[in-house]
Amino acid sequence: MEKFKPVISLLNLDLLLFTAITAVKIGFLLGAVMGFTAFLTWVERKLSSLMQDRVGPNRASIFGFTLLGLFHPIADGIKLMMKEDFVPARADKVLFTLAPVLTLVPVLAAFAVIPFGNYVDVMGLRVELVIARFPLGLLYALAVSGFAIYGTFLAGWSSKSNFALLGALRGAAQMISYEVVLGLTLIGLLMIYGTADLQQIVREQGKLLFGFIPAWGVVYQFPAFILFLAAAIAENKRTPFDVVEGESEIIGYFMEYSSMRFAVFMFAEFIEIILISMLAVTLFLGGWQVPFLEEAGFLFPGGLALPVHPYLTALAQMGAFAAKTAFMCWALMTLRWTVPRFRFDQVMKLAWQGILPLSLLNILITGLALTLI
Amino acid sequence: MIEIKKVDNRPLNLLERLYIWEIFKGFLVTSGHFFRNLFNPKGLITVQYPEVKRPLEYAAKRRTRHRLKVRADGSPKCVACFLCATACPANCIHIEAAEYQANPVEKYPAVFDVDLARCVVCGMCVEACPEDAIAMDTEEIPGGALKREEMYLTREKLFRNLPGEPSLKGAANRLAQGGKGIGRG
Repeated sequence: MEKFKPVISLLNLDLLLFTAITAVKIGFLLGAVMGFTAFLTWVERKLSSLMQDRVGPNRASIFGFTLLGLFHPIADGIKLMMKEDFVPARADKVLFTLAPVLTLVPVLAAFAVIPFGNYVDVMGLRVELVIARFPLGLLYALAVSGFAIYGTFLAGWSSKSNFALLGALRGAAQMISYEVVLGLTLIGLLMIYGTADLQQIVREQGKLLFGFIPAWGVVYQFPAFILFLAAAIAENKRTPFDVVEGESEIIGYFMEYSSMRFAVFMFAEFIEIILISMLAVTLFLGGWQVPFLEEAGFLFPGGLALPVHPYLTALAQMGAFAAKTAFMCWALMTLRWTVPRFRFDQVMKLAWQGILPLSLLNILITGLALTLI
Repeated sequence: MIEIKKVDNRPLNLLERLYIWEIFKGFLVTSGHFFRNLFNPKGLITVQYPEVKRPLEYAAKRRTRHRLKVRADGSPKCVACFLCATACPANCIHIEAAEYQANPVEKYPAVFDVDLARCVVCGMCVEACPEDAIAMDTEEIPGGALKREEMYLTREKLFRNLPGEPSLKGAANRLAQGGKGIGRG
């Protein structure tokens, strides 16, 4: 790991350069994530309709062009902005305004540690393709995403509505339970890779098992992958764990919200899908690794080598990361439209009597295996 | 024919109780539909409604927008007896009766309004009509207006004959032609 010199003066050239590079990386990742989120709202509607033998949204048009309904996210945005921004009379105005912010910010902040590529050499300067790289990256991501509970609970509490408060209670119970479980499912992985630095974890996954199987996390820890996905979907509060919101009948903590305040909750949910997908890809599906693509180029098990330009390598790796993330998003959405909703007691039972003991068992077995081998 | 579906109520085995394999099977079903429809959209059952219309089936044709039949001389077949307005459970028919100057026997509707915004499309008015003057067989499905006024049908909007109408043999046509054959006995 590179070490940055302590900051002495504000005009330190290293610091300026570091700030500029980080700003570019933040802009790039944030733009990509935000654009993909708007796209995902369209994907969710179109995907659900196609798997139910329907057509889905296809009417919003600009000059008669509908582009398969791709203008619907724009139409939704315009519509939400023009809705009345309603605040209940007895609501706590400050907390009511703060709650959507506290929902969105932790989700966005967690993207800081996700490596979206290896590194690129720009004019002799090595730029790591991750916004912030530090040894406890994974713990940071889990800790920050745990903050989302404040947004959920404050939204229900501050709107002074009994139904919203009940929704917030369900949300708090579910999110705290699954926060515990989410961390435990990943411990086996941490034991294998011996680091919580996400970039280092991805680099470890570039090795080959028996000379030809890519050593992705899912190969070592398949049960943990399933458990992590279950816990992450529950943390995301989507079907089959959507008793918190229950959009078809009960409506959860954001019942009193309208207009763009509501849109922020909705947006945060979709961004969290991307976050979960990226985390799952980074930890279990090899992150930005393209199988057999080394720093110098392709190196196939048979001894065949194919040199690739470093910039092309970086592009291919970023493309692989995007493709894997898109695949995970697709899988999560398909799952959301496949599985019916659990009852609330089943949700809690699954966390404390299902995933928790199983992840502890996973830690035990991984520990034994690491000691014996 | 009555079909009997036998429900398998055996207890779930371990694989099914683990739920994961079952979720995966469901996942295959839904994603199978998704990819089939993605690459071959002909399987979609949606009809692009206002542009494409599926022909209405059987009795559904008799539950569409109202019309008032017209005689050969252009006068309404309706005699303003108020039976349809009485039978209407939604109170959506408004009639004001008037009399013909030359014909002391029958009345005609000076005003005959149907408020489609209130109509429940039950067809009771058609059943109640003794003169077979109101019908709901235009095959236009009511609804989809931008203003309330567009849903409010007046007499002029309701007058309509379908091809083959009016029948010149009916007694009602003779009535309108100056009451020939009426009032003798």
